[in-house]
Amino acid sequence: MKWRPNPSKLLLEGPHIEIKISTARPEFDEGRAIGLEYRELPVRALIDTGASLTVINPQIAATCKLLQTDWNKITTVGGKAGRYPAYAAAISFPESDLPAFDVIRVVACPIIEQPFFSCLIGRDILRKWFFTYDGPNGEVEIITHGGGR
Amino acid sequence: MSAEETALQEELRVFEQHKPEWLRSHPGEFVVIVGSRVIGFHSEYESAFKAGLSAAGLGRNFLLKQVWAEEPVYLIY
Repeated sequence: MKWRPNPSKLLLEGPHIEIKISTARPEFDEGRAIGLEYRELPVRALIDTGASLTVINPQIAATCKLLQTDWNKITTVGGKAGRYPAYAAAISFPESDLPAFDVIRVVACPIIEQPFFSCLIGRDILRKWFFTYDGPNGEVEIITHGGGR
Repeated sequence: MSAEETALQEELRVFEQHKPEWLRSHPGEFVVIVGSRVIGFHSEYESAFKAGLSAAGLGRNFLLKQVWAEEPVYLIY
């Protein structure tokens, strides 16, 4: 996947991507099979190499009825630390052919209150991608191990 | 405390009780706990989730916790 927002826009907004978040795929499929309704929520996500794992706005966890699977300790800029709920989710990339993550842990942390983004894509997802940030040309590219872009 | 703040407390108590022995027998693996029941151990989060879902059923939280001596602190910058 390659996109060219232009150098100024990339500088201002950072590398972001449209994603869909839902409850983890096995639960989604099993629930749908018996008539339960789950939402796939479209969200704009910032690719953040400074985030060790993927973080969502807490409201997303409630809207998508994500299952909580743990509590995780998070430290943010300025040393603010806390214990936040971790959930199992599915993340897909509707505007590209990047492979979806059917079951991935996400942590709901209210640091995501910026107007542009409701999710930070962390290094847990980046470990599956080759990610190129071309500042001079205002381009960003993602390639997966399997060759998907 | 709200229900959200107390989520998974029973499972976390079971985890803490067994952690010393699991650090020897299953270091780094994900343990699946539903209520007070220990469902099993998995090397991957995804397979642990499937086992937990199968045991707990739809719509019920369950614990998937990696067995480490020290709880990791994740940095968000």
